Amino acid sequence: MNPHLLTILIFLPLLAAAVMLTVPARRQSAYRYIALVTGLFQLVLSGGMYYLFHPKGAGISQERLYQFVDHIPWIRLDMGGLGRLEIDYFVGVDGLSMPLLFLSALVMVIAIGASWNVQKSAKGYFVLLMTLDMAVMGVFSALDFFLFYVFYELMLLPLYFLIGIWGGVRREYAAIKFFLYTLFGSVFMLLVIVGLYFSVTNPDTGAHTFNMLYMMDPANYVSGSFFSALANQELFSIPARLLGFIVLFIAFAIKVPIVPLHTWLPDAHVEAPTPISIILAGILLKVGGYGILRICFSIFPDAAVQSAWWLGLIGVVSIIYGALVALTQHDLKRMIAYSSVSHMGFVILGMASLTTEGTAGAMFQMISHGFLSAALFFLVGMLYDRVHDRGIYHFRGLATLMPRYTVFVALAFFASLGLPGFSAFIGEVFVIIGTFNAESVNGLLPRWMAIAGSVGILLSAAYFLWTLQRMFFGQPYLKGGGAWSKALTDASPRETAIMVPMLVLALVLGVYPALAFDKINASVLALVELVVGN
Amino acid sequence: MTPDTPTYPILAAFATVLFPFIGFLLSALAGKKAKSGFLAIITIALSVITAGYTFAMVWGEAPIHAQWHWFTIGNEAFHLGIFLDNIAVLMLLVVATVALPVHIYSVAYMKGDPGIHRYWTYLSLFCAAMLGLVIADNLLLTYICWEIVGFASYLLIGFWFTKDAAAQANKRAFIINRIGDIGFLIGFALLYSGFGTLDINALFGMEGLFVVPAATDAPASAAQGGLPAGWITVAGLAFFLGAMAKSAQFPLHVWLPAAMEGPTSVSSLIHAATMVAAGVFLLARIFPLFDGTVLLIIAATGTITALVAAYFALTQFDIKKILAFSTVSQLGFMVAAIGIGMYPIALFHLVTHAFFKCLLFLCAGAIIHEMQHLSDRHQLGIDPQDIRQMGRLRRYMPVTFATMLIASLALVGFPLTSGYLSKDALLIHAFEWAAWQQGVAHIIPYVLTFVSILTSFYIFRLLAKVFFGPTVTAPLANGQAGIHDPSFWMLGPMLFLAACSFFPLFTLQPLHYAHAWLLEGIGVSTPWAPIPLLHVAVPAVTTAATLAIAALAWHWYVKGKYALKTDGLLYRFSLHQGYLDSFYDRVVVGAVLGLANILRWLDKHLVDGIVHGLAAIGRGLASIAGWIDRQVVDGLVRLVGKLAWGLGSMLRHTQAGRLQGYLSSLFLIILVILLYHFIVQA
Repeated sequence: MNPHLLTILIFLPLLAAAVMLTVPARRQSAYRYIALVTGLFQLVLSGGMYYLFHPKGAGISQERLYQFVDHIPWIRLDMGGLGRLEIDYFVGVDGLSMPLLFLSALVMVIAIGASWNVQKSAKGYFVLLMTLDMAVMGVFSALDFFLFYVFYELMLLPLYFLIGIWGGVRREYAAIKFFLYTLFGSVFMLLVIVGLYFSVTNPDTGAHTFNMLYMMDPANYVSGSFFSALANQELFSIPARLLGFIVLFIAFAIKVPIVPLHTWLPDAHVEAPTPISIILAGILLKVGGYGILRICFSIFPDAAVQSAWWLGLIGVVSIIYGALVALTQHDLKRMIAYSSVSHMGFVILGMASLTTEGTAGAMFQMISHGFLSAALFFLVGMLYDRVHDRGIYHFRGLATLMPRYTVFVALAFFASLGLPGFSAFIGEVFVIIGTFNAESVNGLLPRWMAIAGSVGILLSAAYFLWTLQRMFFGQPYLKGGGAWSKALTDASPRETAIMVPMLVLALVLGVYPALAFDKINASVLALVELVVGN
Repeated sequence: MTPDTPTYPILAAFATVLFPFIGFLLSALAGKKAKSGFLAIITIALSVITAGYTFAMVWGEAPIHAQWHWFTIGNEAFHLGIFLDNIAVLMLLVVATVALPVHIYSVAYMKGDPGIHRYWTYLSLFCAAMLGLVIADNLLLTYICWEIVGFASYLLIGFWFTKDAAAQANKRAFIINRIGDIGFLIGFALLYSGFGTLDINALFGMEGLFVVPAATDAPASAAQGGLPAGWITVAGLAFFLGAMAKSAQFPLHVWLPAAMEGPTSVSSLIHAATMVAAGVFLLARIFPLFDGTVLLIIAATGTITALVAAYFALTQFDIKKILAFSTVSQLGFMVAAIGIGMYPIALFHLVTHAFFKCLLFLCAGAIIHEMQHLSDRHQLGIDPQDIRQMGRLRRYMPVTFATMLIASLALVGFPLTSGYLSKDALLIHAFEWAAWQQGVAHIIPYVLTFVSILTSFYIFRLLAKVFFGPTVTAPLANGQAGIHDPSFWMLGPMLFLAACSFFPLFTLQPLHYAHAWLLEGIGVSTPWAPIPLLHVAVPAVTTAATLAIAALAWHWYVKGKYALKTDGLLYRFSLHQGYLDSFYDRVVVGAVLGLANILRWLDKHLVDGIVHGLAAIGRGLASIAGWIDRQVVDGLVRLVGKLAWGLGSMLRHTQAGRLQGYLSSLFLIILVILLYHFIVQA
């Protein structure tokens, strides 16, 4: 087994982008084939890694329990009085990152498939897409905080251009809103990173370090340093560690997103082209959830326990608020964007419970939402491609006109609203069970939060089924009349080939969740032990 | 507890679920080619055989349990398993036995429908999930099947999805059932957080955590393991909420009458015999969970449901709506039986009801089928389900009449029918229970008796109007209708179910329930003393009342001497089903949408307003900085420049190159210095 599999997975898209740059711009179709081959290769590679991934590899705070590790010194700089600067190229996977890496590879392939008809400067488009691909893979693998931050910021750049150039009518507005929102979070994150750097030393060399795993061990903190648990430093009369946690949480929570930091999401989705919506919902939102577990909870476990109640509340509010606002939307894509807010609320609630059931449920919900939201945005894109309209009230009786498309939509809707047999059900049920358990296991969340969260399951049925009834049932009526009914052809073979695997995956994970839980369990147990155990 | 290894009954029970599931998969894969229903019928027939075998092997024997590891979350393992006790195998057999005739009936009933392939697919899915529900060994698995039967029901209610009413009805059914599902979910999540297991046998079995203490005042809730008593009550109420939605209890019953938009064969199987009874089955399964408070609430809800639904049934004109409300009312009886602690009797009534109510719907389907033909042939454009358009059908459809009469007599609990046995048992126990209780509980048996009289009225009204009464439809009146009993494919199932509606299926003593094998198998033990007088009084009174009501219905509807006004408040209230639908639409849906619209407004104007406000502040600060940059910072720079320039241009005149100028300047400067000297010295 090649020891650098993970590095190959991360930087393969960069190679593809380099190849694309050498292909002359008039050979339009070459780019998408290069992208597709890269995506498929990544999918196979990450699938193989997933298969090889040892379920006992808990990771979290111990380097030896990570797998596919690449750990190379990167920047070593003597800074005189400030000591030596130590930045490593340090990547590895555990149960938190492995499923998300596979998910990212899968969603990328879907996004590439959805980009098949991009005409506008295809070269730039696919080069940016590949750059984004690399950044995403890097974020999920980086174990050095500096490296993580580099990848994290690198994601923003291609996304800004992909929305701002290839997007809809108000694309500039949406792109800049998205960019500034995220930047707002990450700028403060940088301060915390620097603070952590000066608080933590490598026990072997004594030099300050960006190594996340060292940051998780209280023994590595310099006594009296800003983030040392023993020093009890304060800033603006808030304990420093709590402040650090809150700043990092807000940075990631914007990505998740939580209410009330969510308003970039509907605009970005509505204006973004279909493939970018798929990536946004399928991968980008998970970076937020992943960051909270990997960084906020693991580096500041004490603050996580202190804040659990508020996190639970944020989760519950996001679930219900997102669902209610989704209920009133007239634009199908906006409706699905708000449903994402609601479904990601379950992720926050499950994490906040700090029980194994809740945290594993949250991880499962992220995976499940990853490809279900990708499927939903793809389905919206299919409709938009045909008639350039997404108004819920502009269509009726589509089931008669597009029977196969309707089957896909109905299955995706029912899977998303948590019908047993599909993956979202397992995620939501275990989040609810974990939240109920929290009161007796660690006393962090009250039981009413679980009850309130389950109301979101009811509301999701309401907005999905109402949409089905309005758009698909009844006698056909189209706003665009005869021209539309000609344009509204049923799902093409390419579209079917993309949809079927996603629905099958939702079904397989729903029927046999062990496929994911087996890989997640050890890490979740280790994480919960790390956070609640001390 | 270590589970037993799979034995033949377990395999047979598994096969019973697997067959229809295979039928579902194959029909789904075959798509439009699966028109004949052959697959669905064969698979359900195989299920009947294996269910019969399972029943024969397990009934009266010790329960069998088998489970397989499914997945592990953290350190907690979850299993897929089969638990076969008397209740499970009884339900397994009943569901399969009712499903088979409905499948056969559907061949003729659904013939020619363009979406028939979907019909068979959905029906097989329903059967698999319903059969799975009754043999599941843990609450998570039960919940999964519970939701899937709801999903199948959604698909079948909306089978004719181009009809707006059907599209509305299936959405309503699913959402109301979701309310119940959330109750179920909260219930089992609470149990799991308290006891760490969802295994039905471990929780509620003979040696379970909730063992029923014999002869104590409170019939339930001995286990106080991991949950405080208050949360046990909450869990009980949460499960009951689930049962209320699924078994259409007031005030969540509104989805069931609306669900009549589906094909009638579906109504008979799903919305009369099996799925709607799943709520009652669940309550029986987890019975030891309920404490006194919850049981009283259950009894009261069941009684209110029985009363209100029977009252609504009195004035309906749609033949399926009458039967739907009748179903709701009978489910109320079953739930009330649970509430008084007599879950075996609830199951007994569930089983007898499954046969005769299924039959009532199949008869109604035959009538609707023929009325539709009549309407088409004579281009009448009448509503084939409206009983005001019917009348004198006995002449045209004698066999249908006979079977419907049998089913109706079973419904009202007339002697010699199966319904007599179960309803008699229910009422007698209700009276005995009430005598043992205090307070308002006393009125419950009287209300139930009254409801059974109302039952007689609405069903005899239906029979009289449909089969005997005068008709406004000309071809029916003049004997030229040309309609007849349905073909054998429909008649056969009806005759079979009619045979199942008589007493011998349950006991050989036609007038006494005590030795019914079903009750003996599940075991009725009462904490109260029996009152022998009731065993005579209750059947005598109800039978006499039934006969009197039959005579009244004959007088009013056949002889045409209807004596009541149809514009009274009570009449209108019943006809409009208590205006509950409009109440829900306006108040509940209105409130949710109103709140949602407020949030949407806040989202747009407050949350995004703050974002835009921050952006505006940023831009404002930037333009102030820009102004300062241009005017102050650059101004200073320019001022310095201007000063230099001004000074320079002033001084450049002195550098004109004229000697006279230089000399006179020199002279002037010396003069000034001298003057300065003189002034300072002085």
